[in-house]
Amino acid sequence: MSRWRHSVDELTAGRQRYQKECERAQNALSRVTSCFQQLVASLGSSADSSYLREEIDQTRALAHRICSGLSHRLLRLLSACDSAPIAVEDRQASERLWVLFLSVVENFLCDLQKAKDLIGQFPLTQSSNRCSLVNTGCTDGLVGVAARVALVQIPWLVLEEEPSPNLTDHIAGLESLLSELQQRVPVAFWSVEATQPAWAEVLSDPDDPDDSLEDIMEVEVVSNSRSRNNVSACCQRKCCRLSCVG
Amino acid sequence: MTIRTARPNRGQHFRPRTHCLKKLDAIVVEMQDPKNGVKGSEQKLNVTTIPHAITGSDIIAWISNKMKTTTEEAQVFGTMLVAYGYIYPLQNHRKLVMCNDSSLYRFQTPYFWPTQQWVPEDSDYAIYLAKRNIRKKGMLEPYEQAHYNHLHEWLNHKWDFIVMQATEQYKAGRERNKADRVVFDCQERAYWIVNRPPRRTHSALDYGPERLINPNIEEKITFDQHRRINIFYQQAIMRSKVKSSVSLGALVKYITSYKHHDAFLAPCLPSNPWETDHDAYWTLNMRRVEVPTKMRVERWSFSFFELLTDLRGRDDFKIFLKKEFSGENLAFWEAAEELKWGTASSMSAKAETIFKTFLAPGAPRWINIDGRTMGLTVKGLEHPHRYVLEAAQTHVFMLMKKDTFFRYLKSPTYKETQKKALNPEAHNFSSAQLEENARNRSAGIHPIILWQQEEEEKAKAAAAAAPVDVKAVMSKIDRKK
Repeated sequence: MSRWRHSVDELTAGRQRYQKECERAQNALSRVTSCFQQLVASLGSSADSSYLREEIDQTRALAHRICSGLSHRLLRLLSACDSAPIAVEDRQASERLWVLFLSVVENFLCDLQKAKDLIGQFPLTQSSNRCSLVNTGCTDGLVGVAARVALVQIPWLVLEEEPSPNLTDHIAGLESLLSELQQRVPVAFWSVEATQPAWAEVLSDPDDPDDSLEDIMEVEVVSNSRSRNNVSACCQRKCCRLSCVG
Repeated sequence: MTIRTARPNRGQHFRPRTHCLKKLDAIVVEMQDPKNGVKGSEQKLNVTTIPHAITGSDIIAWISNKMKTTTEEAQVFGTMLVAYGYIYPLQNHRKLVMCNDSSLYRFQTPYFWPTQQWVPEDSDYAIYLAKRNIRKKGMLEPYEQAHYNHLHEWLNHKWDFIVMQATEQYKAGRERNKADRVVFDCQERAYWIVNRPPRRTHSALDYGPERLINPNIEEKITFDQHRRINIFYQQAIMRSKVKSSVSLGALVKYITSYKHHDAFLAPCLPSNPWETDHDAYWTLNMRRVEVPTKMRVERWSFSFFELLTDLRGRDDFKIFLKKEFSGENLAFWEAAEELKWGTASSMSAKAETIFKTFLAPGAPRWINIDGRTMGLTVKGLEHPHRYVLEAAQTHVFMLMKKDTFFRYLKSPTYKETQKKALNPEAHNFSSAQLEENARNRSAGIHPIILWQQEEEEKAKAAAAAAPVDVKAVMSKIDRKK
């Protein structure tokens, strides 16, 4: 009897370790996808270069590894739910993780599709292509972001090094992964609730030198509006009550 | 995750009226050419300088040179570029217009360009708002706060993902150098001002429902389609025609009478609820209002059809007819309408009552229609269907229109109503009051309450209406004689 209870405790402990591993992987995936977004936002702009494209590929490959590993583990976690007796909170935690994982994958898929379009629209194969890059004011300062990606650790050992797919295959693979996962595990995603209330993230970052950013942009406005007269010359007439984007 | 991914893709995802975006992309890329494009300068800020700032006058000069148009047209085109989000203003980021002076603009990065394929998603907007929340420590604009609260409620299941992603994106953004950080923040802010405009501002990206057909692809018309097009046009040529002077004259007449009643062309009194969020106009023009507005009463005099379709006008007309003891025509018309629009199961019962009340010889409310129509109708009533009374109804309508309607317009009833009609004062709201109105928008009267009121009125009318017995009245008059 005690041996049975002992094994059940082991099972729950193992399960919770598994869950923590998945959570760490989820955080890592979040970090990788947000860095990916920063990189993709510079595609086609003056900060675009072949270095950027390589970084994008590497980030994509890392995200692919984490995605596939995490999807397998989550599938195992949620299908094990049905067989062994599981506490309600554990099940809810797994479902929550499931919904968060699918949201990250959707978000990443959007960025991937945009990246594919942009790479197609702004090819860098010839030096004359550089004339068509948009002058957005960004110089290439993306080394920091690339370094941030490189620091991300996958919380499990990657034994087999499968080759990372190219962009089109990656997109197709993710789409099929999404539809497959949604069909295999019936999780009511609307029953998952947020763990923190609204406006909670405001208190998260105490050491923040970034209010200066808004001030930088504000000072510019004020100084320029003082030099010219306050009412800009174009929109003088008072239109109807709908202000023209004013 | 979103419901959208769980739904099957039925191919309806082309946004109409946005297929000009491909051409705009090409023009913006041309503007980048180092030799022939728009010349940029530097923007000096407190701690750093950022290149690639361009002045409005330069852009407009380039556009009018490239497209060989006047400066005004080039300015309109430039404003369109700003409104779509290809270029954003650096000085007044909320006003999306291109000014022909030295105000500075910058090109938007292609990641944030408008595309036909994808809409900016709500979850992306939520991540942006959370990121902005972190950066500004809760000091968001009021419309942003409203959006935030709404999204927190509707995207609650992925809110943890949103906050986590926002934090990560914020930290990733911090890895860049200062100038690039400023530029990226400006870009993101400009993108969301274009795609989630603040209240009471236009959005140039308004499109209608999504379409099945890709407007960018060129379709080849097949031989069979050509053949059918030809047949269509041949038949169109053979149709009977009206002189354009005649049809245009009718149109002009219509416009002259209705132009003051059109809410787009003339100000609507007291104020247009869609503009000022104040629903006085709707409450004053409800179905069962005691005193109608002057505009409404004037509209009844335009045509008999207007009088009948406005139910308040029909009530007034009924009062007039009651005084004249000639209500049977209108009653028959209403009964025929009920038959036309009613349920199929009640049709034979209704047809019976109508026949007994209006059409049978010696009926209590016998209507005076010509013999041929009467014969057709009575024959049709043996096998009643929805439109069996159509001919009789039209005849009765024409009788009322040609005779009773004009008498009504000259009658004391109508003149009384005209005198008592309300002419409300125009509202003049300040912008603070407009904000107040927008906050106090209510859901209006529940349709169930309206339906209950209707039922009560119907019951009252049924109880009070004793059909005017022609014979009794005639005998009274005979006795008086």
